[in-house]
Amino acid sequence: MTRAAVKGTAYCLGYASELGYWYGNTPYTERVEHGESEFLKKLPGAAQSFAEASGYPPNLVFTGSMTIKELEACGQPWYENLRGGTRYGRYGEIMPEDEFIGLMDICDVFDLIWLERTFAESVRSKLERHPLLGGGQLNRLEAGHDAGEISAETDGAGALPLYFGGRVIGCCRKGHDIDHNLSAHVLLENLVCKAGGVLSLLHLIKNSGAAPEDIEFVIECSEEAVGDVNQRGGGNMAKAVAEIAGCVNSTGCDVRGFCAAPVDAIILASSLVAAGVRKNVAVVAGGSLQKLFMNSRDHVRKDLPALENCLGNFAALIVPQDGVNPEIRLDAVGSHTVGAGSSPQAITTALVYEPLQKIGLGFADIDKYAPELHIPEITMPAGAGNVPESNYKMIAALAVMKKQLEKSGIQGFILEHGLPGFAHTQGHIPSGVPFLGHAADAIRAGEMTRAMIIGKGSLFLGRLTNLADGLSFIVEKPEGAVSGASGGSSMTREDVKAAVLDALSELALSLRK
Amino acid sequence: MGKLAGKKLILLGERDGVPGPAMEACFKDSGADIIFSATECFV
Repeated sequence: MTRAAVKGTAYCLGYASELGYWYGNTPYTERVEHGESEFLKKLPGAAQSFAEASGYPPNLVFTGSMTIKELEACGQPWYENLRGGTRYGRYGEIMPEDEFIGLMDICDVFDLIWLERTFAESVRSKLERHPLLGGGQLNRLEAGHDAGEISAETDGAGALPLYFGGRVIGCCRKGHDIDHNLSAHVLLENLVCKAGGVLSLLHLIKNSGAAPEDIEFVIECSEEAVGDVNQRGGGNMAKAVAEIAGCVNSTGCDVRGFCAAPVDAIILASSLVAAGVRKNVAVVAGGSLQKLFMNSRDHVRKDLPALENCLGNFAALIVPQDGVNPEIRLDAVGSHTVGAGSSPQAITTALVYEPLQKIGLGFADIDKYAPELHIPEITMPAGAGNVPESNYKMIAALAVMKKQLEKSGIQGFILEHGLPGFAHTQGHIPSGVPFLGHAADAIRAGEMTRAMIIGKGSLFLGRLTNLADGLSFIVEKPEGAVSGASGGSSMTREDVKAAVLDALSELALSLRK
Repeated sequence: MGKLAGKKLILLGERDGVPGPAMEACFKDSGADIIFSATECFV
């Protein structure tokens, strides 16, 4: 069997403070229920500016302008220790909001986004300087409309106004007169997600040294439902993203599983590659407009900065193993099965202990664990705790139960094998995958042997089951480069079986002669 | 049967903490009446 490896990754943020203020679910619902409340009046002033967001240490780690070690050494609160603003990082960029709206227009093939003429001109001049946007994309940017045309759409024609600098600079129009699946609001969410996916895919192609034509298959793993009344969630955001990125030789499909979907998608992409069905499979996800400012009510109430105004987007390229790139261990995939139970102990056993057991590893053989990597400065004031730290406590406690760690060693285990959270509360985005780029770099540099990426999905939110889901995979040094308990073996159990069967067949043939 | 016997319980679970079904399992034999159990995700 071919083995699958991670050739490249991309991580991008789309600064979207005004989109979030108007259409993030928390402020949007507040506006519907309470009008212009005190919370809504205070929120814009509490939000990080673009300059602040582009110097915020967790954002710099996400886009690859800062290492995790540098973040760990950075004093908290991080929002009081901003660094020099850097747009472009090793993995991607943080894109300003006006350019992101322009990118949404580039991604719009149904004339849904209308931009006011002077805004369109301004954003064109900026996007023309973007290092990854070529004629194929820029030619899609519209010339713009008169302000009167836009107000006619927003005043009673079902379009949603788009804002920049506090003024209306365009709108998102509805896609159907009565189908709420094609309302302006749903289409705006989908276009935001699509634009973030395109941006990450473009960076992925550059980071991987590939051409758009090299991408053979795209798996999109966000949380948006694409479709109309007859096929809500019909999907294939993947192919729509591939089209704008110029991946003419690609098709694709979507994978959904709430926050666990990116881990699902990487396992599936690796399986396609390992089976020889596909090469060069891109896993892509754009961000979630709805989740912008999700916890901002608590941030505003406590006079803290409202940090949730960046869309998170990522991409990873999975290829056949070449002996250089970090490998995905398909023989040690963790699965939280239907019958596994819902206690934290049962979940951690299924996702961490059982896959390690499969390949004869112990808890300490994983250099770094990457569960949901939410930025704690966002989640803790809202009462959701330090999510990565909670996961590390559970993993360490399980290691104690399995007699692989002394109880007194729990804190040391967390420090050695844990990570600080550096991903925005964007649902599927924080789910382990933000570490894949840093892990791949560390493995290539010989600084790390293996990491475990863990995703969990809140299936119960869809009201079809009370279950949650979870998956995990291990990424490690390529075969031959690994020392330790299991990695030194170059043959799987199946390989051994096949070799024994071959030998027996040869023996049988020789006996007949 | 303990001190929860005859009481009515509302269980609010959290995905990254203790989910509702896990709490239900713990209280199954407590004699309490579980009138509502749910799990939410706050991230």
